[in-house]
Amino acid sequence: MEVYNKTFRNTPNSLLRTPNSPKDHRVVITGLGVISSIGVGIEVFWKNCLQGISGFKPIQGFDVSSYRSRLGGQLPEIDFKAFIKPANLRRMDRIGKIVVSSVRLAIDDSGLHLREEDSNRIGISIGTGLGSSDTVDQFFRSLLKEGPLGAAPLLFQTAVPNAITSHCAIEYGIKGVNITFSHKESSTEMAMTFAYHLLREGRADVIFAGGGDELSEPLYHVYSMLGALSPGKGRGAEGMRPFDQDRNGIVLGEGSGILVLETLEHAKKRGAKIYAEMAGAGLSGSTDGLLSYDLKGDSMARAMSLAVKDFQAMDYISAAANSTPDLDRAETFAIKKVFRERAKEISVSSLKSLLGEFDGSGGIRACALALSLNHGMIPPTIGTKHLDPQCDVNVVLAQSKNMKIRSALLNSCSNGGSNISLWIKQCSSS
Amino acid sequence: MRKRVVITGLGVVSAVGNHLSEFWNSLVEGKDGVKEITVFDPSAYRTKIAAEVSHLDPEAHFPKKEVRRLSRCDQFGLIAFREAWKSAGLERDLQDKERAGVVLGAGSGGILSVEKYFRGFYQGQKKSSPSLLISYSLATTTDHIAIESGLKGPRTTTATVCSSSSASMGVAFEMIQMGLADVMVTGGSDSLCEVSYSGFSSLKLVDPESCKPFDKRRHGLVIGEGAGILILEELEHALERDAPIHAEFLGYGICADAYHLTAPEPNGEGVERVIRIALADAGVSIEEVDTINAHGTATLFNDIAETRGMKRVFGERAREIPISGIKSMVGHCLGSAGGIEAVATVMTLETGMIPPTIHYEVPDPLCDLNYTPNHSIKKDVRIAISNSFAFGGNNVCLVFKKFSSE
Repeated sequence: MEVYNKTFRNTPNSLLRTPNSPKDHRVVITGLGVISSIGVGIEVFWKNCLQGISGFKPIQGFDVSSYRSRLGGQLPEIDFKAFIKPANLRRMDRIGKIVVSSVRLAIDDSGLHLREEDSNRIGISIGTGLGSSDTVDQFFRSLLKEGPLGAAPLLFQTAVPNAITSHCAIEYGIKGVNITFSHKESSTEMAMTFAYHLLREGRADVIFAGGGDELSEPLYHVYSMLGALSPGKGRGAEGMRPFDQDRNGIVLGEGSGILVLETLEHAKKRGAKIYAEMAGAGLSGSTDGLLSYDLKGDSMARAMSLAVKDFQAMDYISAAANSTPDLDRAETFAIKKVFRERAKEISVSSLKSLLGEFDGSGGIRACALALSLNHGMIPPTIGTKHLDPQCDVNVVLAQSKNMKIRSALLNSCSNGGSNISLWIKQCSSS
Repeated sequence: MRKRVVITGLGVVSAVGNHLSEFWNSLVEGKDGVKEITVFDPSAYRTKIAAEVSHLDPEAHFPKKEVRRLSRCDQFGLIAFREAWKSAGLERDLQDKERAGVVLGAGSGGILSVEKYFRGFYQGQKKSSPSLLISYSLATTTDHIAIESGLKGPRTTTATVCSSSSASMGVAFEMIQMGLADVMVTGGSDSLCEVSYSGFSSLKLVDPESCKPFDKRRHGLVIGEGAGILILEELEHALERDAPIHAEFLGYGICADAYHLTAPEPNGEGVERVIRIALADAGVSIEEVDTINAHGTATLFNDIAETRGMKRVFGERAREIPISGIKSMVGHCLGSAGGIEAVATVMTLETGMIPPTIHYEVPDPLCDLNYTPNHSIKKDVRIAISNSFAFGGNNVCLVFKKFSSE
């Protein structure tokens, strides 16, 4: 303590992880912000989730006639002026606007008054697979067209992947922890894991965690060239059918979801409404190849086992399953490996059937999971009709399901092999 | 109880050396790695220089087929990783690969490959190979390292660009604190590409001659490239296998200016905060800091803000602390800058040599600290910190200590 006092005699205590503060703070979810293809704000989003409304429409904004696929889960037109200060709005590209708006919605939902908080103890942890892919592409095209002397500086400063996080910090005066992760389909789950750990250690009071991605033309091109998009070369209709025997690839989506993660003490002190408690994170890797999954499901099983502390209380898994045979099966094997005879009792659904697949989908899926725990409702896995015999878990199909959920898992799995599972449960008030 | 974390392996690829000893000797000698660009044609640019990696034959490290598959960024990362991994003795000693993971920082990543593809695509050549697009994700180098060495622990990639690979060390450290791993590969890799070069160029942040941090004549950064990889290991795990220990990683700070998209907060308030947060996290007092590896990009604003921030923390003593600006030699390596500078900081503690800030001739009244001008100095140092700042006011500070087993 002496060293500490000497170093910080001129520093407000609020800046610091105090060495004598109790570790192992409990971490709760107190606010949700969703910008999705099936709704802006959690009310519309949740209603559409439960009704099984799909966000897929023919792609607008760029020409897809040269591809085999037509669909995308694009956002509706959004009036971002309703969310963002005009002076800052001018400086943002589209993904910046999307993420900053989802933070606004989360703040409003949480009832936080940021002005009354110590800005050094408020942080932000964002995940995004490709950030400003569209801006990078525009910048690159300007470079090809105009040459280096004509390249546009204003595009470049928003092209860096952490620009979205900086926009949020500037817009809301968030001066604490500030980090951006980009690791394919586990980007947002990592952002939540990091936030969770720092809160547990008392390094912040509140961290906005989550993130998202945009569906841009270059991204559509890349996914298509890499053969990931439905219908691909396969037969059958274009669409997202996780766990279905007739699936044939993914439909790209976009959007952003933010959770307000907060220490339980801080939430109680301000009388916040609590959706759920974040209670564990498990991380693992597999090493089967740059674009491959661990087909046996061992590594996903490890991530789940590391996250969960009470296997008996598991009622629901929000699956990573994304309508590719390898991942859907690997996840099924993993669930059965971890929960054995209990596996059949656990309800499984994939929100990706409504939203599509995108790297930063975890933010929105986590928001839905918190709502599931809160309302005792599980959204359906739409599109899926005939379960793949190798995907013999208890999938919630066409209709949403009403049941008490004690605890749940949010799974993520990136091709290349980063798996993150988050354990989220009912928050007992004690 | 917080776990103690030590550094047991180091690997580097840089403009001044493609392995650790060559890199370190060059820094101590004050060698300038800046030269004319060859990886793309710079003739249309205002500036034509970069701290480019040279004399590195990919085919000496990878089979021919692999060389085509790996981006330049992947190659640097893998080469530096192999050096670090081997020197740590982990190839031999590592028992449980499920408790070893990889967290790297990324900048422009494999954009050089993606550029190649889209250049072809937009200019109507149908021949562009889609395999170039594998590098589209910033996670690619991280995945390559884990896959090559079969590491099945936690894996992720940080993407705060100029501070990425410092942030990645903080994240890797927390993976050990969370009990998810005993060994973490961390740091970063990045390669030159036209998108980032023209970007900094369009912002008029590039010096046409040389990188002159803290000098009155400074005109901006010089882009560099390379990789700096560190192996973090939980102390007990390292002691049990009798590992070579380079230094201890005590803690870190990470925070935001929340000020502007590109410019730093001019009074050094963000710099002050991040250093204080880092020292508090490390349990180190202000008096104990013996040397600082500065961010020192040689942009007008960074160097002033950083100097002010250091003065706000260290007061009068700021003038006594030797500061190194190694970007004067290795350039600003963006996604790998923090990793390369962390390697240099660890070597400073281990060897007692503080590398210089070269090209330092004309003092700037606004940058009036001891920047270790032009010649390295020998000094016994116990605690060293390394600063990294990124666009958008993202600040990271790392704290290292000379290792002793008490």
